[in-house]
Amino acid sequence: MTLWRVRIAASLLLMALAPLSQAQTEAIGYVKTVTGDAWVITAGQRVKAQPGSAVLLGSQLKTSHSATMGVTYKDDTVMSFGPDTELTVDEYLYAPAQGQLKLTARLSRGSLNYVSGVIARLKPEAVSVKTPTGIIGVRGTQFVARVEDDQ
Amino acid sequence: MNPFHQMRLALAGLMLAALTLAGCAGPGSYVVLLPSPDGTVGKVTISGASGQQVLTQARTGSMLNGKEAPFEVSREQLAKDFGEAMSARPALPEHFLLYFMPGGAQLTPLSVTLLPKILQRAKARHAVDVSVIGHTDTQGKAETNEELALKRAAAIAEQLRQMGLKDTVISVESHGERNLLVPTPDETAEPRNRRVEITLR
Repeated sequence: MTLWRVRIAASLLLMALAPLSQAQTEAIGYVKTVTGDAWVITAGQRVKAQPGSAVLLGSQLKTSHSATMGVTYKDDTVMSFGPDTELTVDEYLYAPAQGQLKLTARLSRGSLNYVSGVIARLKPEAVSVKTPTGIIGVRGTQFVARVEDDQ
Repeated sequence: MNPFHQMRLALAGLMLAALTLAGCAGPGSYVVLLPSPDGTVGKVTISGASGQQVLTQARTGSMLNGKEAPFEVSREQLAKDFGEAMSARPALPEHFLLYFMPGGAQLTPLSVTLLPKILQRAKARHAVDVSVIGHTDTQGKAETNEELALKRAAAIAEQLRQMGLKDTVISVESHGERNLLVPTPDETAEPRNRRVEITLR
């Protein structure tokens, strides 16, 4: 019985620790600017964004009505959002020494200001921003994009 | 006024209202190429449900569905549709290089003098996070250099913490001799390759 308890406790502990050991708990960027109410939602967990909040792989970045938010990623990519915006980081790989580079984001609504970083400079075809009606590819630059709800 | 005339007037009013609304609403879902912060203009490609477009001129835009040729976007329209997103843009990252004496984690005298400036810049930034990447030249074994580069990066991170960046996220990484600033053959002493790269974000 005691042994069982120990085993259950041990497996519970392992389950609790498991997510920590996975790569997606590593920050891929940090929130730098916020005005109004904005959120970072990762694996169902909703955190109110403030300067210094970590952005992880798979995080959904969300601003409410009249809010804005700015994020800087590990490869120096900079993204900022106007009000009523939703962007999800689907893929992010930044290991330049190993040649592993990838950035895929999904802008489902709202407005985005994007400034490219090292990933776009070293491997332009590795960066894309998906929207409901089309995919944006980047060749080392800055752009703004807007997705309106009714489309 | 006869009823026919009234209807025509009403219709004209409606059309005018529709036109005004269309003017306010902007083009809908679209993307606009802007110059990079360094002034250069890159390229944006659009693969949409209704076609493909390429933007190469600053302040030209395309519908995200790829339909219709690129169009010019006025500064007023940009400010109206993207002003808030643009004003939320964080300060762009800053980069610094520090150089080392051969074989260890001791900075060159000139690089020592740079540290206070880096610290000052870091403190001036909002919610800064710092990355320190260590490098070596090609003298010595690759595995030894992997460790030496890590030692260099860790030493600088520690100095920055002691100088005042106590509560700052500082990531420490080694690229060993794999990422040379100046390409050289193996077993070559090269002062410019013995370095750490510091990025303030």
